[in-house]
Amino acid sequence: MTAARFDDLIHAPTRLAIVSLLAAAEWADFKFIRDSASLSDSALSKQLATLEQAHYIEIRRGFVGKRPRTSARLTPAGRAAFEQHLAALQEMVARSGATILPR
Amino acid sequence: MTDELHPAEAAQALADIQKHQQQVIDRATVPTWYWWAVGALMVVLAVGVDNRTPIALGVTVSVFVAGLLLATGLAVRGQFRDARLRNGLLDGRGVVAILGFVALIVGCTLGLAFGLRAAGVSYPATLACAAGGLGMGLGGPVLMRTLRRIMLGNRAGSAR
Repeated sequence: MTAARFDDLIHAPTRLAIVSLLAAAEWADFKFIRDSASLSDSALSKQLATLEQAHYIEIRRGFVGKRPRTSARLTPAGRAAFEQHLAALQEMVARSGATILPR
Repeated sequence: MTDELHPAEAAQALADIQKHQQQVIDRATVPTWYWWAVGALMVVLAVGVDNRTPIALGVTVSVFVAGLLLATGLAVRGQFRDARLRNGLLDGRGVVAILGFVALIVGCTLGLAFGLRAAGVSYPATLACAAGGLGMGLGGPVLMRTLRRIMLGNRAGSAR
């Protein structure tokens, strides 16, 4: 069982969206994250840099043909932090007696 | 921050997490048209088999191979570009579902074809593949829904 630990860095809405997307993927393309999280290029770049500084994600920059391509993935530390954060949120909801119904 | 967070906000955050993970899983779903395309290509191939002339076989095999490559390329192109699903989302149950579906379609199609041929029906392979193609078109989306359910059950934070 994952230990619960609330993570302020992850909990910010835009970063939570990014980390949630990356948690279901081995890696995800910059444009896919941007469009899925409804962020601008600059807002996503800023949030990715914050997560990278915390060693929660790894950013890969490369080329497909002549086009630059950026992708990101969760590091093991980032995945562990996300799972602990999830456990903390679930604990809070469980303590209140509420339930999360799957959509 | 933890102390300040209201349970309703935590519940909303969990719902958002689920929504974003679903976006990645849904991106990996094979579209419905793909199954119908593969079903139609099976029929094309079977026409060549029933026709039994080298030219018919050559043409239908070429159409089948080219069509399958094109359809598969179009179906998975966006997925490989956008994101790769996390290993482990599709567990043994998913593999069993995929193999079971393929075995069911191939087994029923072959069985029907041999049965029709033994009964002396004309164009047994074409008729059997038409039935198999129908099964592919109708069953493919069901397989996708099953795989989606398995992957959602294996995502982080799901109630396993």
